[in-house]
Amino acid sequence: MRRFVPCFALLLACGLAAITSHAEDAAPADKSLKKLTFERDIRPILKARCFHCHGEEEEIEGSLDVRLRRFLAKGGDSGPAIVPGKPDESPLVERIRSGDMPPIEDESKKVTADELKLIEQWIIQGAITARPEPETLTDADLITEEERSFWSFQPVRRPTVPAVRNSDRVRSAIDAFVLRKLKADGFSLSPDADRVTLLRRVSFDLLGLPPTPEMVQQFVEDGSPDAYERMVDRLLASPDYGDRWGRHWLDVAGYADSEGYTITDPERAWAWKYRDWVIGSLNDDKPFDEFIREQLAGDEMVEPPYAELPSDELAKLIATGFLRMAPDGTGGGADDVELAKNEVMAETIKVVSSSLLGLTVGCAQCHDHRYDPIPQSDYYRLRAVFEPAYDWKKWKAPNARRVSLYTAANKAEAAEIEKKAKAILNERTKKQNEFIEATFEKELAKLPEDIQPAAREARETDAKKRTVEQKELIKKYPSLNVSAGSLYLYDRKAADELKKMSDEATALRATKPKEQFVRALTEVPGSVPKTFLFARGDHEQPKEELEPAGLTVLADNSESAKLPLNDEQLPTTGRRLAWAQRLTSGKHPLVARVLANRVWMHHFGRGIVATAGDFGFLGNRPSHPELLDWLASEFVDSGWSLKHLHRLILTSSVYRQAGASSVVASTNPESTPQMVDPDNTLYWQFPLRRLQAETVRDAVLAVTGKLNPKRRGEAVPVMADRVGQFVIGKENLNAGRPGAVIDMKGEDFRKSIFIQWRRSRPLTVLDTFDLPRMEPNCEKRNSSTVATQSLFLMNSTFVTDMAEDFATRVREEAGTNTGEQVRLAWQLALTRAATDEEIKDALAFLEQQTQHFTEKPMMVKDTKTKKDAARDAGEVALANLCQLLLSSNEFLYVD
Amino acid sequence: MNGTQHSRRHFLASGSTGLSSLALSYLLQQDEAQAKPAKPIAEQKSFDLTPKEPPHEPRAKAMISLWMQGGPSHHDLFDPKPLMKEWDGKTFPGEVKYDNAAQASSKVFATPWEFAPRGECGMELSELIPEISGVADDICLIRSMKTGVNNHGQSIRALINGRILGGRPAIGSWLTYALGSETQNLPAYMALIDPGQLPVMGVENWSNGFLPAIYQGTVIRAQEPRILNLQPPKHLRGEIQDRSLAFLKKLNDRHYEQRPGQLDLEARIRSYELAARMQTVAAEAMDLSKESKTVQKMYGMMDGGTTAEYGSRCLIARRLVERGVRFVQVFTQNQLWDSHGSIISGLPAACKKVDKGSAALVADLKRLGLLDSTVVQWGGEMGRLPVIQNDAGRAKLGRDHNTYGFSHWYAGGGFKAGHVHGATDEWGHYAVEGTVNHFDIHATLLRLFGIDDTELTYRWGGRLQSLTDGQEGKVVEEVLS
Repeated sequence: MRRFVPCFALLLACGLAAITSHAEDAAPADKSLKKLTFERDIRPILKARCFHCHGEEEEIEGSLDVRLRRFLAKGGDSGPAIVPGKPDESPLVERIRSGDMPPIEDESKKVTADELKLIEQWIIQGAITARPEPETLTDADLITEEERSFWSFQPVRRPTVPAVRNSDRVRSAIDAFVLRKLKADGFSLSPDADRVTLLRRVSFDLLGLPPTPEMVQQFVEDGSPDAYERMVDRLLASPDYGDRWGRHWLDVAGYADSEGYTITDPERAWAWKYRDWVIGSLNDDKPFDEFIREQLAGDEMVEPPYAELPSDELAKLIATGFLRMAPDGTGGGADDVELAKNEVMAETIKVVSSSLLGLTVGCAQCHDHRYDPIPQSDYYRLRAVFEPAYDWKKWKAPNARRVSLYTAANKAEAAEIEKKAKAILNERTKKQNEFIEATFEKELAKLPEDIQPAAREARETDAKKRTVEQKELIKKYPSLNVSAGSLYLYDRKAADELKKMSDEATALRATKPKEQFVRALTEVPGSVPKTFLFARGDHEQPKEELEPAGLTVLADNSESAKLPLNDEQLPTTGRRLAWAQRLTSGKHPLVARVLANRVWMHHFGRGIVATAGDFGFLGNRPSHPELLDWLASEFVDSGWSLKHLHRLILTSSVYRQAGASSVVASTNPESTPQMVDPDNTLYWQFPLRRLQAETVRDAVLAVTGKLNPKRRGEAVPVMADRVGQFVIGKENLNAGRPGAVIDMKGEDFRKSIFIQWRRSRPLTVLDTFDLPRMEPNCEKRNSSTVATQSLFLMNSTFVTDMAEDFATRVREEAGTNTGEQVRLAWQLALTRAATDEEIKDALAFLEQQTQHFTEKPMMVKDTKTKKDAARDAGEVALANLCQLLLSSNEFLYVD
Repeated sequence: MNGTQHSRRHFLASGSTGLSSLALSYLLQQDEAQAKPAKPIAEQKSFDLTPKEPPHEPRAKAMISLWMQGGPSHHDLFDPKPLMKEWDGKTFPGEVKYDNAAQASSKVFATPWEFAPRGECGMELSELIPEISGVADDICLIRSMKTGVNNHGQSIRALINGRILGGRPAIGSWLTYALGSETQNLPAYMALIDPGQLPVMGVENWSNGFLPAIYQGTVIRAQEPRILNLQPPKHLRGEIQDRSLAFLKKLNDRHYEQRPGQLDLEARIRSYELAARMQTVAAEAMDLSKESKTVQKMYGMMDGGTTAEYGSRCLIARRLVERGVRFVQVFTQNQLWDSHGSIISGLPAACKKVDKGSAALVADLKRLGLLDSTVVQWGGEMGRLPVIQNDAGRAKLGRDHNTYGFSHWYAGGGFKAGHVHGATDEWGHYAVEGTVNHFDIHATLLRLFGIDDTELTYRWGGRLQSLTDGQEGKVVEEVLS
């Protein structure tokens, strides 16, 4: 049973979908009118539903292979499967109609009515193929012309920028591509948004924080024609940029500060170095091709042994942390360690392929991909790229893969300290033995005198050599067994004294230079393991050996494109390095498109390809294919500069247009863009978006003035509070119960990206606002609107505490005049001046609440006198108002 | 990330976290349709708390666990051993599994309290629990519980999450994962903690383990606000909050008017109304003044002290189940029942605390016609030894841990009434007849909810996980009515 687990899981993960509903570019109704061909219309259905048993498996069900039209005509054990021209006489149709095939109960996996209709129509038309079928059945043969010509597999060609007539809205190529499509429907872009709106938009977008009053002033007062561009440049230069965009990359990398997989979910003490490397690389605008190469093969660029490396080489090792982000249960506690090892590799392949290739290669782990032209062998060829580093036959647990940063001098110093600590411990052992003996004598004295000699002898006799009587005696008087472990039960003072000595040794050991590690993936020189295809994804059923290569459909594994088995020029095999170079050559059809699309998605909330992690057949088609290709080629041509891509997008009119609050003019009131394109796929206005989890928390901290600007370094720990919510804090448990709360000294106000991402402990404030689970990574975040979020904003200690801090800041900066307080609160929370009406309402509200708190004061314990004292009613009311601003839609959404 | 016009559809698609199903139904104004059960358990792909039908005909719909942390002495409450009277103070002739050897003695400790047959069934119970004795005909006493792991933490885990390891979901999480909740206005799984210290293992007692966080137990605290986030801090209650929400709505309405058609904004405005409604429901559920004086008295609420406090939590538990909450666990404080010493005074005090409330809960559920569909569990992670611990004078006598044989009782939800199952040896040390280990009791409880323990699974850590975790758990048919 166990063997089938991985395959079962993948079937679930991959799911099965109705083919026709996803083939957007060809509606079935149209198909029935034109000539249907096997390759284009029928094969995808059979591939998804039938190939597995009827073709791909070693043993073919009923000897019927349905992978080629001629096999269908030839048929299997029960004769031909199709009779051209006669669907009613074709067993293929009959078996599907009767529900016998596919033999699955789940309705969602059956052939749909539309699909059946297509098959019938195709047979009526004579069951034709588009071209002569291949003679042989290699992986390449089995990929059809139709599959090869799928849009995302075609090379990126820089399209000509269209000329858009009489439009003053065209600032850049981006605008031209978008406007051409809008104009075709008679629409245009919305006018530019006002400066404050733009600043707030760009600030949240690039920094994940609201703009400060200083930023507002600087931008609003800048009269130069390129004020906007200058503002964008200022923000791109901010170190907060790396935190925000680093988070996007960490999502697809599946970053976590814990191993997951087992219930102990051990911490990954050193993952943060990779996090800091990502942030730093983005802030430096490290060319993205280099960024990718270092993550895939940084270790192959550094000469081993990896000791006392200069910082630039060390950084390359840290970069390989990317390949160490998948859940890893091999450190202990996994039920089936072999399976756990295999899953680390499988999840790593998912992370790599979804982040860089935009393909669900993982779906080919157990069988050929059901929809995309990715044979199972391709999956294992890709696995072979990573095999020498992971080396699943000579597996290393997570800690054994760490690279130590200890220097020779560190080691010598540590050894010296260890010597002293050992001396203390030896002394302790001596003392302990004395105490045990003394306790024994006392316990012995409590026994009846006549049995004391026998008891002494029984105890002194080796446990294995005791006579039955001696054993009985010990059982009867268990206190004779006093030992190091139970001494504390008899002699507390002695135990305390011993503890003091061990504490002393521990304290001394703590003075050793701290050993730091890098979480890296490296190869063991000379060790080149083989890779086998695993039948049904089961690691216990290895079949043919495969060599490292890219995807067949991209002709990436042709003879000329072979990856090295073991590059003689390198101490490592060079497999990952060669593959990384191929991905970043600028000629790979997927990589630049996938990245450009993801950047667009983060700026606009939706990708040009809406399924950012799936550029395959089941994914969405690009809404603006030429724009995507233009961005991809511009990205590559700019030397893979992410900041260049940001500038291009941010300075476009598409990005600068007004959002939901704009009134969109249309020449025809009967067909407004709201009616024709309610989902705004044409970009006739800027989309409204809710802040994502980390941004909600960080924005609250920023507005209240509590944000701790400290960057980099170890993750701030997360623990369960007294009711089980996950909060920032150092765990201090006693028999599982939380002990005294340890002061976090402002660490609790660090930005969210520096807070520990422990898989089993999602920080409650983030979790409430849709923090994703890294299983193994996150390609696109969800945004929900649920009552728990409202309850959190209304009632949680986090928000009420923050509101108090916000109010304190407002009082300190605005003084005692309530009108000024309201104005400042508005400005800080919403980045705009309050209107007169809003001020009037807010003042009335404050007055009412103040009156209430005057009549029914809020009592708090005075920290000095320890007596209950009434709080100032006005202060409580102001905090109340501040909380409402932090809970408002205007705060939570960006225009 | 997208809040544009397509947000309604988006909203539908993202209904997998928190109480989204409620917000959703509110938005679509389909409150009535909401009660319709969705697809059953096993390998769900999206997670919510909508009610789900179990695969088999269920006997029980809800469960209240009265969790007696520390290990009540079955010798002195549930499992009389007349033979021990003769051996009282003499050397125990058998083998004892001690936990604390320093204080161990091998002197037999016969119970100093009287047992007598109770109810029509004649089940023998101790004089320390007169009220529970009064519902003897409604309970099923199991005298042969066993976990075999002799410390609190591990044995708690065994009985709460199925294994002796931490990090696994508690049974309440499994049940809500499988069956959702009959109400979307209250958390599906609630833990009523004691005003004293948290029980051993703290928050792990209601952990969702590797299951999604929506299946974690929500704590009802002993002090205000009783449910975090579901109730405002005290000073922001009542008209203060009414005015606050009105002001917030004004802000949001104005914002929305300027952004017509942005349904996500509208949904969020509504979600505040919904949140306010949930607050009201929660506050109402915990408002015991709505109960008659007779009922309050029945739960010991007029008795003052710990009896009143515990009784009021039992009454809240009943009110929650009445409102559709799936699983409620009422905890005693840290080590209340851990009678290593001073059992002569400590045990009667512990009994006084819980006896009335526990019995009232059974009687009251029965009165309301809810007992048939509600399982009541009463017990802790262990029992005690037949020998004296801390032989330092009568007032200081105690009993050490015993997880090899101890008692639990159950009522309602398909358990036999007035029935005694299983037995320990003549010394009450080892379960010897009809042994029920933690896997067995879990398989039995799941069966009552219409679930076979092997079919309630969740894929995690490279395999399918379950409450009984592949261990053989036998449904104890003898205890089922």
